[in-house]
Amino acid sequence: MPEKRDDRRRRIRIIVTVLVAAAAAPAAIFLGVSVWNDRRFYLVSLIIMLLSAVPFVLRFERKKLRPRELVVLAAMIAIGVAGRAAFYMLPQFKPIIAVAIITGIAFGADSGFIAGAMIAFVSNFMFVQGPWTPWQMEALGLTGLLGGLFFHRKNAAPPKTVPLVIFGVLSVLLVYGPIVDTSTLLTTYSDVTWELAGKVFAAGVPFNLINAAATAIFLLLLAKPLLKKLNRVQVKYGLLE
Amino acid sequence: MRRDAFHTVHPAVDLAFFLFVMLITAFVLHPAVTGISLAAALTYAICLKGRKTLRLCLTFVLPVVVIVAVFNPLFNHAGTTVLFYMKNGNAVTMEAVLYGAVSACMFAALILWCSCLTAVMTSDKYVYLFGRAIPTLSLVFSMVLRFVPRLFARIKLVSEAQKSVAPSFGKSPIKAASHGLSVLSATVTWALESAVTVSDSMHSRGYGLPGRTSFPLFRFDRRDAVLGISMLVCFALSAAAMATGHIRFRFYPSVKYSPADALSLIGYAAFLILCITPLLLNIWERASLARALGSGSFSKKTADGG
Repeated sequence: MPEKRDDRRRRIRIIVTVLVAAAAAPAAIFLGVSVWNDRRFYLVSLIIMLLSAVPFVLRFERKKLRPRELVVLAAMIAIGVAGRAAFYMLPQFKPIIAVAIITGIAFGADSGFIAGAMIAFVSNFMFVQGPWTPWQMEALGLTGLLGGLFFHRKNAAPPKTVPLVIFGVLSVLLVYGPIVDTSTLLTTYSDVTWELAGKVFAAGVPFNLINAAATAIFLLLLAKPLLKKLNRVQVKYGLLE
Repeated sequence: MRRDAFHTVHPAVDLAFFLFVMLITAFVLHPAVTGISLAAALTYAICLKGRKTLRLCLTFVLPVVVIVAVFNPLFNHAGTTVLFYMKNGNAVTMEAVLYGAVSACMFAALILWCSCLTAVMTSDKYVYLFGRAIPTLSLVFSMVLRFVPRLFARIKLVSEAQKSVAPSFGKSPIKAASHGLSVLSATVTWALESAVTVSDSMHSRGYGLPGRTSFPLFRFDRRDAVLGISMLVCFALSAAAMATGHIRFRFYPSVKYSPADALSLIGYAAFLILCITPLLLNIWERASLARALGSGSFSKKTADGG
């Protein structure tokens, strides 16, 4: 089946992109240790993140998406931003991760990454932009990317609910939470010790649990209808072929 | 937002300013440098947003600063000057207290610069700057900014329409929730469908065809050149003083800092001028406006106002 092979090839390409980005990380760490001769964790990690985003941005630009796909993607991002703004009074209880994952499922891993990063970037204009913005972009982008990597199949039925919710919870606890906690650690304390790191991560646990619960609930509520609506638009107007 | 002269300069100059200032602030942990940066950021943020800045400081910045400043000496026991011992036998050192205080100030300065950045670098400037390099992403970015307020307007519209159709909506919490969900569902469907309409209109206007020009909103004039060069010189001077060790501050194991000499003073002055560039520009604009309008009560008022 050519479609299946296409899927596999695309996934391999994304994994290679991730690996290339990962190879840039030791280079940045080496630079931090040898040139700055200092423990500039914040700057080194910022460079790593920028480097890791470059391949995705280039691939996204290179792909030459048609206006229809672009605008629908923008609409999904706007839904994520609006969702975060609508739940502003409940800390951590936000649909953004669920929306990023759903976008990844519908549009593929690349667009999932772009959508997640963009949701974080734009919604921080309404909340507070700060040194944590790149971390939130990276974290949310990665959840969108993983959603696409695990569940995006061309012309396939939407993913089963149980694995999707489990994936959502795990992606918060293993990907989003740790990255954002690391940003808390690095942006507020340039002087990092293991003890301090332990305290910061421990303090992050309740927030991550709320976030995971919110993501599970929103995936339960939103995944099916949103994917159905996206599929409807797709069939009606012939998108994403 | 109040009228800000720095808002009217070329986007590249705006962005370069924030990059330079935030780079040095994040990179150099030095009481004097951090202090200059924090003071300038606070002044500029208050000039830009007035009371909003004070609220941000009181509700968010100040608590974080206090937590960081207090936590560092509790968890970091490096340093040679012991102030006292805690119950568990760990030492609280003067160096750790100082380090915590300075890094808390650095964090506060970065947040305040970010709030200035949000006020000055409006979305049109990002789209203008990055429209060439990453056209697709810039386009998505500007479309998202347009979509979000439209979504909220639509939600209000749908919700009011449904309320008038079925007045029982929203009476009990369960009904309110199901009402909310149906409003959301209708809005999302509309958003996706209207996205297709938008894209059709883009297509018919020739999106993606080669040889299209874009409408430039900004012009790089002499003022931008002067500002850009002076910022570059200030950045180079202060960065040189920091890189060559003339401005250096060591916290551990004992506090040690470079003595003040000619080069370090030049470095401090250059960084100060860099940080207050927007403020200087505002003062200069006001003064030249006052001069242009001639003396009298009006010019006095503009010079004082804000």
